[in-house]
Amino acid sequence: MTTSEYVIDVKDLTKRFGEKMAVENVTFNTKRSEVFGFLGPNGAGKTTTIKMLTTLLPPTSGTASVLGFDLKTQGRKIRERIGVVQQQDSFDQGLNVETSMEVYGLIWDVPKKLRRDRIDELIERFGMHDFRKLATLDLSAGQRRRLQVAREFIHDMDLLFLDEPTVGLDPIVRRNVLDYIKDKVKDGLTIFFTTHILEEAEYLCDRIAVINQGRIIQIDTPGNLKRRFGSAKAVEFNLQEESPPGFVENISSQESISSLTYDKSTKTYRTTTSRPELVIPEIYRIADRFRLTISSIFIAQATLEDAFINMVTEDDKETKGRETG
Amino acid sequence: MNVYLRLVYRNLRANLDKISLFFELIFPLFFVFVQGYALNGIVPPFELGNGVVISYSLFLAAGAVTLTVINAGTNAGTQLWYDRKNGMFEQILMGPFTRAQYILSIIIATLVIGIGGSLLVFLLAFPVLGASISPTIQGAALFVLALILGTMFFGAFAIALSVGLKSSETFQIVSTFAFFVFLFTSTVFFPATKAPPAIETVSLLNPLTYVTDIFRAGLFNAATPLVSLELGVLVVEAAVMFVIAVLAFRRIRV
Repeated sequence: MTTSEYVIDVKDLTKRFGEKMAVENVTFNTKRSEVFGFLGPNGAGKTTTIKMLTTLLPPTSGTASVLGFDLKTQGRKIRERIGVVQQQDSFDQGLNVETSMEVYGLIWDVPKKLRRDRIDELIERFGMHDFRKLATLDLSAGQRRRLQVAREFIHDMDLLFLDEPTVGLDPIVRRNVLDYIKDKVKDGLTIFFTTHILEEAEYLCDRIAVINQGRIIQIDTPGNLKRRFGSAKAVEFNLQEESPPGFVENISSQESISSLTYDKSTKTYRTTTSRPELVIPEIYRIADRFRLTISSIFIAQATLEDAFINMVTEDDKETKGRETG
Repeated sequence: MNVYLRLVYRNLRANLDKISLFFELIFPLFFVFVQGYALNGIVPPFELGNGVVISYSLFLAAGAVTLTVINAGTNAGTQLWYDRKNGMFEQILMGPFTRAQYILSIIIATLVIGIGGSLLVFLLAFPVLGASISPTIQGAALFVLALILGTMFFGAFAIALSVGLKSSETFQIVSTFAFFVFLFTSTVFFPATKAPPAIETVSLLNPLTYVTDIFRAGLFNAATPLVSLELGVLVVEAAVMFVIAVLAFRRIRV
């Protein structure tokens, strides 16, 4: 690795597929031993950004250096020092769990003794003992995901790209994986992390970039994002009666409401909004029109998810506004 | 360890189905011992060239050895398909490897299967047929070269096919169809000169014809000046197909 202040340093990175703009003028940087989160809705450009930074896809324009190496001219040097857990499955179908880890270590040229030690350690840490001799084709989706994440730690690296690594994992295994990643970060590893599970991002990330429609709309710490975009901006309420048809649609159509969700188990409606002072009277007015009684209503503590929904929804509204002139 | 050795080892370990390999080996032997013996009594011995006369069963056995070359080639396409289907294609390309190293590692693995399979069929078939074969060094070089060029051609052909087709099922069907076209318009079963003109013309375009002819000429010391020309054609065909495969491979979207 060359001496560079940033592990990843990206300026105006853009990727276009024909007419479709997948990633547009993305600019950010990450420091050593940082967990940098990349959050965004489906199709926002997260995986395309990872594919560019791992040299799989050439950017249309912009510049980037990874581990001090230029993305366009020093791809091989970059790939020698990174690890990647892809969003999609990746496994050798003719092998069992242990052999596939062995072969993966071999292609990365990890010495045999070190390879063996690391495989044993990873099988232990990722709880794969029971299925270590099982063929990869016979694994469940969660087991295969565990193998895919564990396998990447067989070789040395300075930077690890994790593209939704915990999809399909149960909560205990997921926490186990996240804690293992945290340990590696303490040892100096830098992580570029995408997920849809915002609690995970909050648990793991030092900073988060929110990407929507190919553009980064915010970069900050999880705490600051919550404060800036989520603080006191979730309104929760319960009704005494079942809501009649049209009620939810009426609430959702209010301009000041970003989103409305309903939790069946607690029968609680939750709105995210940047203007709770306007939303609460509106909810009362609409409930009254439908002859419904609100049994409780309060401003809830915002989560990172609220902040995320606010950011993305407001960005979508702004984009739509610009497009319609 | 060298990067190619590592990738080739992986290709051979991870992407080869042992049962398929077994049947790919049985298939040529079936021709040798069933068709060869069955037709030997009704097809008289004939001259191969250079005054060398051989029986039909030996003629066919030599053809069957070159059959493994097509089988190995199909394996190249299957390896690529498995990697693309299982996400290992992208995974490897995000590792310390280049696209060229990856595709070459498939070709080399295919060569290992092709040459290894040919050798095995040869060792199983010829002693049983009671043939006494003593090829010259020049002859041995000829038939080894034929097998290498043949495996390269069919490996590259299968890779190009694999890139162009949208599903592994379609790849299997189309490659099997292509396999039979190559097989029955080549000189594996009969000398092209004794076939109807249309088939003879097609066989002149077919690289398996040249692989088989050069292999037989080298094995039975029956090389004529024509073999040099055939070798030249085979080199050109293999090179052109390799370029097509590389160009097709570069088009794979990730």
